Amino acid sequence: MKNLMNKLIKQTEFWVFMIIIVLALLIQARSGAFFANNNIVDIMRSMICPALYAVCALLAFVSTGPDVSFPLIAALSSYLAIVITYGTGYDGPWFVVYLIGMFFGALMGALNGFIIVKYKFPSLIVTLGTSSLFSGILLGAFEAERMELPDTLQRFGSMNLLTVSNEKTGLGSALPMTFLILIVVYLIAYAVLNFTMVGRGVYAIGGDEISAERAGFDVKKIRFGIFVINGMIAAVAGLCYSVMSMKYLPTEFAGGEMVVIAAIVLGGARLTGGVGTLKGCLLGTLLLTMVTNSLILAGISVYWQKVFIGGIIIIGTAIPAIQYFLGGSRGKKVKGGEAA
Amino acid sequence: MKKLKTMDENVLRLTILLFAFLLIAGVTKGDSFLKVSIFQTMGKQLSEYGLMAVGCGICMISGGIDLSCVYVANLCGIVAGLLMQKSGFPIWAAVIAAIVTGAACGAFNGFLISCLKIPAMLATLGSYQLFQGISVVISGGSSVGNIPKAYSAFGSVTVMGIPAAFLVFLAIIIAMSFFMGKTVFGTRIYLVGTNAKSAMFAGIKNKTILTGTYMLSGLISGCAGLLSLARINSAKADFGTSYTMQCILIAVLGGVNPNGGFGSIPGIAIAVLILQMLSSYLNTFPDISNYYRDSIWGIALIGVLIINFTLEKRKTARQAKMN
Repeated sequence: MKNLMNKLIKQTEFWVFMIIIVLALLIQARSGAFFANNNIVDIMRSMICPALYAVCALLAFVSTGPDVSFPLIAALSSYLAIVITYGTGYDGPWFVVYLIGMFFGALMGALNGFIIVKYKFPSLIVTLGTSSLFSGILLGAFEAERMELPDTLQRFGSMNLLTVSNEKTGLGSALPMTFLILIVVYLIAYAVLNFTMVGRGVYAIGGDEISAERAGFDVKKIRFGIFVINGMIAAVAGLCYSVMSMKYLPTEFAGGEMVVIAAIVLGGARLTGGVGTLKGCLLGTLLLTMVTNSLILAGISVYWQKVFIGGIIIIGTAIPAIQYFLGGSRGKKVKGGEAA
Repeated sequence: MKKLKTMDENVLRLTILLFAFLLIAGVTKGDSFLKVSIFQTMGKQLSEYGLMAVGCGICMISGGIDLSCVYVANLCGIVAGLLMQKSGFPIWAAVIAAIVTGAACGAFNGFLISCLKIPAMLATLGSYQLFQGISVVISGGSSVGNIPKAYSAFGSVTVMGIPAAFLVFLAIIIAMSFFMGKTVFGTRIYLVGTNAKSAMFAGIKNKTILTGTYMLSGLISGCAGLLSLARINSAKADFGTSYTMQCILIAVLGGVNPNGGFGSIPGIAIAVLILQMLSSYLNTFPDISNYYRDSIWGIALIGVLIINFTLEKRKTARQAKMN
C-alpha cells in the first residue's frame, strides 16, 4: 500500500515536473533567454521566500488544514526582531536576530495551535482571524512603517553566494546567502518528516486522526508543535524577505498566502490531509515562480499573469478528478492510498 | 424543529447584542453617532459587503466556502461599467449582462466543485485569481470610470431617507430568507451541508444543489458589484480585497457553521449591521487608527467561535443530564 501511495504521489510530481519543462522550453523557444544564467539565478532568488512559506503551508495542510496566517506572522515577527535589534544596539552575528524573530514567530504560532487544538475549529477560519489580529497589531498598535535594516542584517544581505553575469546581454544576477537558509530548512524538514516518528505522526494525524491516536501518536502535541514550528519558519521567511530587499516593508507581506497554497496543491498536497511531499512543494513553487517571473520573457503581457495563475491552479487541482474519470480502478486505488 | 429553535436563539442573541451596542454607542457618542447622515452612509457601505457575505454564507451552509465573491463582484462591476460607457447601450441591458456574468462565474465555481470534485476552498481560490485576471485584462488594469449619470444617480438616491442601495440589500435578504427557509431547494442546501453522503442517499441531486448554490452566490455578488459601481462611480479589478475576510467573519458571526449545515440569512443580516456599526463607531474616534479594526475583527471572529462552542457544549451537557 505504501509503495503504491509513493508511486501515485510521484506521478503528481512527475506531471508538475513535465509542465515545468514544457513551459521552460516554450519560454526558451520564444525568447531565447530562459536558460540564460542570470534568469536561472533570478528564479532561484525569487523562489527563496515562497519556498520557505510553502513548508509552513505544507506542514499545516498535511496535518490539519490550510494555514493562511504565515505572511502576517512573518511580517510581525520580523518587525519585532528588527526593532529589538535597533533598541539594544546589537551588532553581532546575524543569526541572533533570526533567533529573536523565531521566538516571536513561535509565540504567534502557539496562539494558532492553541485555538485549533483546544477548540477543534477549522484552521482556515482560525488563521484568518489571527492574521487579521496580527495585521492590526503590526499596523495599528506598532504603526510599522518601512525602515532600513540594522547593520548586522545589512552585512548579511550584501553577502552573495554566487554572482553571474550574462555575456550576451550584460545583465547580472546574484544569489543571496539566504538561499543556504532555504536549503537547511528543507534538509531538516526532509529528515524530520521522513526519518523520525514525529514526522510520520504528522502524516498520520492528517490521514486519520482517530487511527493515529490509537496508534499511539499524541495528536494534540503534534498538532500544536506543527503550528509553533510554522510560526518559526514564517519568521525566518519574513527576515529573509527583508534581508533580500534590504528594507523592512510592512505592507508587502499580506496576500502572498493564496499563491503559496496554490503552489503546494499543485505539488500534490491534498486538502483532505495526510498527503503531500516536500519535493512536490518545491516543484509547485518553482512552477508558479516561473509563471510570475518569466511569462514576460515569453512575450505575454503582465495583464494575463493572474489568468494564467488561476488557470494553472484550477487545472492542477482538477488533475485528481481527471485521473479518476480516466481510469475508474486507478481512481479507487487513489482513494485507498489516501486512507492508508 | 430543534434546528429551527437553535437558529432562532442565535438570531435573538445577535439582536440583543445589536441593541446593547446601539445603547452604548448612543450613550458614549450620542451627538456624533446617532445622526441620519451617518446611518445613511452605513446603509450604503454595508449593502455591498453584506450581499457578498450572504453569498459566501449560503456556500458555507452548503458545506463549502466561496472566496471569489469579491472578485466576481468586481468583474461584474467592470462588465457593467464597460458596457455603459458605450453610447447607445441601454443601462438595463448592462445591468442584466453584469448579473448574468455573476451567475456564470458562480456556475463555473459550482461546476468545479460539484462535477470535478475540487474542494470548494481550492476551487474558489483558483477561480478568484482567474476572475481577477479577466477583470485586469478587460479593464486594461485601470479603473473603469465615466459611468452615465443616469446610473450613478442610483448611488445617491434615497427613498424616505433610506438609501436605495440599502433597500436592494433588504429586498435580497428577504428573498433569500424565504428561499433558504421555505423552499425545497433551500432545505436541500442545508441537508447537503449537514451530510452530503446521506443527502445523496436520500435522493437529492447534490451536483444540481451545489451548482445552484454557487450560481446564486455569484448572482448575489454580481448585485453587490453593481451597487459599488453606483456608489463609487467606478470599478476596479482589485477593489475591496479585504472584504473576503470580512465576509467569512460576518457569516460566522451570523451563526453559520463553517463545517456546513447551520446558519440563517437573518443572522447574517444582523451580523452585517453589528459590524458596520462597530466600524462606524470606531471611526468617530479620530485617534484610533483604522488598522485597529483588523485586530478587532480578528478577535471578534475567534471570540464568537469560542462563545458559540462553549454555549453549545453547556447545552449538550444539560441535555445529557436531563436524559
